[in-house]
Amino acid sequence: MRRVINYLGLSMFVALALIGVAPLFLIIYDIYSRGIPAIIELGGWSFFIDIPPSPFVDKGGIGPQLVGSLYMTAIGALIGFAIGFPLGVYVGEFRKDLFANVSRGAVNMLVEFPTITIGLFVFTLLGLMRQDINPVLENIGDAAASVFGEGARYFIGPLDYYNAYAGAVALALIMIPYVALFTASAYSTVEPQLREAAYAVSGREYNAVFVVLRKVVARAILTAALLGTAKIAGETAPLIFTAFGNNYYGEFTKPTAAVPLWIYYASQTPYESLIISAYGAAAVLLTIILAIFIIARAVGRQI
Amino acid sequence: MLGLIILLSLIFYIFSIVVLVFIKFRIGMKLIGAVSILIIGGMAVVFLIFSLPAFEKFGVGIFFSTEWDPGAERYGLANAITGTLLTSAIAIAIAVPIALGIVVFINEILPRRLAGIFGSLVDLTAALPTVLFGLWGLFVLGPALAWAVESFSNVLLQLGLISEPLYTTRTSLLTASVLLAIMIVPYAAAVIREGYALVPKHVEEAIYAMGATKFEAILIKFRYIRNYLFGGFFLALGRAMGETVAVAMVVGGNYYTFTINPLDSGITLSSLIALQFPNAFGILVPVLYAAALTIALIGIIINTVAIYILYRGQL
Repeated sequence: MRRVINYLGLSMFVALALIGVAPLFLIIYDIYSRGIPAIIELGGWSFFIDIPPSPFVDKGGIGPQLVGSLYMTAIGALIGFAIGFPLGVYVGEFRKDLFANVSRGAVNMLVEFPTITIGLFVFTLLGLMRQDINPVLENIGDAAASVFGEGARYFIGPLDYYNAYAGAVALALIMIPYVALFTASAYSTVEPQLREAAYAVSGREYNAVFVVLRKVVARAILTAALLGTAKIAGETAPLIFTAFGNNYYGEFTKPTAAVPLWIYYASQTPYESLIISAYGAAAVLLTIILAIFIIARAVGRQI
Repeated sequence: MLGLIILLSLIFYIFSIVVLVFIKFRIGMKLIGAVSILIIGGMAVVFLIFSLPAFEKFGVGIFFSTEWDPGAERYGLANAITGTLLTSAIAIAIAVPIALGIVVFINEILPRRLAGIFGSLVDLTAALPTVLFGLWGLFVLGPALAWAVESFSNVLLQLGLISEPLYTTRTSLLTASVLLAIMIVPYAAAVIREGYALVPKHVEEAIYAMGATKFEAILIKFRYIRNYLFGGFFLALGRAMGETVAVAMVVGGNYYTFTINPLDSGITLSSLIALQFPNAFGILVPVLYAAALTIALIGIIINTVAIYILYRGQL
């Protein structure tokens, strides 16, 4: 009798586990099986360059979305890493400080925070600052335009309510706790002997922590940066109020398009051409995420 | 003016971090550590200040009013709060057993090599963008659930257990709950796995020495790591309550009527903000800030509980 219960119980766990990962395959299958034909139908390679289709135009692509996503993800990842890495070092390396433990709690909280509130937060702050900084930015934009040519106006100038930089900051706020937690756990796995050796040879605490020990955990931190980038590349909620979305190529100081935003908007329209373009965009996004994830795993494996 | 002050203090803050890290290392690091606290505190303060007009107009009743009348500009958050609680409760009920199954499958049944691959698959589920879940939920899961409910109701009708047929559409609270369950399984599983790996070897050997079967041993181990079970439970709950985009795509956007029937379409707090804020005006804006404040506070409370449970031994 106990053996029967044993087998029944174990097979129940196995069945539950298989149910748990089945949706992953279903989602990947669904997106590729509809996304790839969608890309071909909407114009093949030009799908990556063209502006999106409209209800009345069958051909089109996600060119502006790709550019916007790339720009915002790159800036967001840079800011996020620049702040998240030292934050993770502080949280992971100074575990005995009371303040570090409070900070660790806050990081843990931030990683779980609803992402929509982060977008709303950035939108609100920008709304407060916009009036004050726009005259300055206008002068900077004029100066940049006279030095680098009119193309500079695409990157700098007075900010609209919705713009790529707000999107990038919102993405950075999402990335900070991810990188910080990964970094903290990497630093806390450094062996004590190694840590003491690092402090002994490097003289200053700054050198010990940021130069010597950084090399010890370099791979783990690279993994953290990659996974964080994959995370923010697919984020939608924080972009709704910050980048807002746009169907055309345009200045980054104005509303900017992003791939996840396009999937979000287009899939909720009743128009067939927009829905299949959403599936095409989903296939592209999924490929990017899978690629980053596999690279991150390959890097992380050799720790 | 206020914006300029905020901006200048931000610049001063970053500048002092950069300088202090080189001069007074410890103090500089403390300033960096304050970043996370400042972000959370800043969010809470901003949401509180911007939601004040709503509290002035509606008072605390805003949390209990089910009214949503854009014409008369009368709004209440009770529908959204109910929707949030309902979807996350169903999601947790589905997700926790599955997460336990994954933990057992990885740690007890699969050989080491395969366990690594299976673990990667679970992590990949957590890494997938939520908007892809939403897309799948809208076009595959939603219709499938609607079909399942319809055939289930037909069976019940023929057995005479119910008199009216059950009816649902592809966008409902049920779809949102199932989708949420799929999305939060990896987070719950990750926390429980962490705890499962910490069961000491001698405890495990003692369990088997008592003559326990594998299944009994697993149950005893789960009891041993119960604070991780509860920690994972609360973290997953926090995720489920805060999830926005995927829910906004499948929940149906029913702001107007109060419902506790999961087959109806409804609304949750975060999807309410996502769907309404872009074209909000007047008193609705502070109301939505109040909704943001609510999910922020819920998130802070749930995570504090989870962290307290998880690190009780360590802090």
